[in-house]
Amino acid sequence: MGRTIGQEQNLAALMRAAQGGDREAYAALLSTLAPLVGQAVRQRFGFLQPQDIDDLVQDILLSLHASRATYDPARPFLPWLMAIARNRMADSARRYVRRAAHEVPSEHPPETFPAEDANVSASGYGDVEALARAMTQLPRGQRQAIEMMKLREMSLKEAAAATGTSVGALKVSVHRGMQALRKAMSTTD
Amino acid sequence: MDTAEFIKRLAADLQPVRPLRPPWARALLWLGLALLYVAAIVWRKSMINEASQVAGNARFLAEQAATLATAMTAAIAAFCSIIPGFDRRVLLLPVVPLGLWLASVGLGCVQDWLQRGADGLTLRADWDCLPSAIVMGIVPSVMLVIMLRKGAPLLPRVSLALGALAVASVANLGLQLAHARDASIMVLVWHLGAVAVWVAIGGWLGAFVLGRRHASSVR
Repeated sequence: MGRTIGQEQNLAALMRAAQGGDREAYAALLSTLAPLVGQAVRQRFGFLQPQDIDDLVQDILLSLHASRATYDPARPFLPWLMAIARNRMADSARRYVRRAAHEVPSEHPPETFPAEDANVSASGYGDVEALARAMTQLPRGQRQAIEMMKLREMSLKEAAAATGTSVGALKVSVHRGMQALRKAMSTTD
Repeated sequence: MDTAEFIKRLAADLQPVRPLRPPWARALLWLGLALLYVAAIVWRKSMINEASQVAGNARFLAEQAATLATAMTAAIAAFCSIIPGFDRRVLLLPVVPLGLWLASVGLGCVQDWLQRGADGLTLRADWDCLPSAIVMGIVPSVMLVIMLRKGAPLLPRVSLALGALAVASVANLGLQLAHARDASIMVLVWHLGAVAVWVAIGGWLGAFVLGRRHASSVR
């Protein structure tokens, strides 16, 4: 992250403005930082998938957001940013190691029960096209809720923030949507 | 979520913040308030009993000065530890005053032993001062946690352990004025033992108490 003094001063000025509540300056600052942080993450975690790198970059920006009061305008900006980035990357590395330690690679998932219902993965996931058709028949709210929570595996909080609805309303939408999908799929069978 | 969209949301979530004061200033503010609180308790309960008698005791005064210095340096180190980019050597600040405090109490043990033989090192259970210690520690602990949570949880266990050391030191200072002057062995085992336990609890709970907080509306 080699930067010139001018760029450093520019970033520090944007951060000072952001501390004062200037949203445009903040958006400009984060947009400038995202590729710099991405580069630092790629240097350290070159083996990660692009999506995982994006997630880590967003995690670092989120930590910057939560810690913005700790930036002292009288001090250089980049060392402050990089301390946050290093801390989040170290956390991420620890998570990665923990996950890897508990994962058991297996090419052939063992069959647990002979009953067909218990081995859906062995026989595929049913009629994917019919499921896609059934999804398009759902009301917009239910479809969106299922896409976010079941397909993209977002948490209730995340999905509620993304859709602008309450957690309760989201739960109802998912429940009704799943019921409708089950009904539609059973008629297809 | 796409990073550009994510940035847009973060910017929309932005609220103005006041930059934190330097760690030493925050530590001084906390220590001042904590000492006022402890002094008020000692005063209200008329607990200063031997302060006048021990005023001329150089070792006692040195011990209290080391305790106060431990509180101040531990608080500075704790407040530094929540600032990204701080010099990690700052974390060692309390080592010297804590060492002096321990040395002073250890010297007291030796003096008691030389003067009174084995009787000078007799240890007994003394639970009377526990309620006072807890009361003296509550408000400084709450203040410290609130102040630490305004920073970045880079090393939450270390930050809270240092904070606990600062709180325990202030409470000890109050206790030394609050009850009958104990034999040094009692101070070493009960007071400093309690400090060690409190620091361990702080380290254990650090990640939970100072854990990472994010703008929940963003993701």
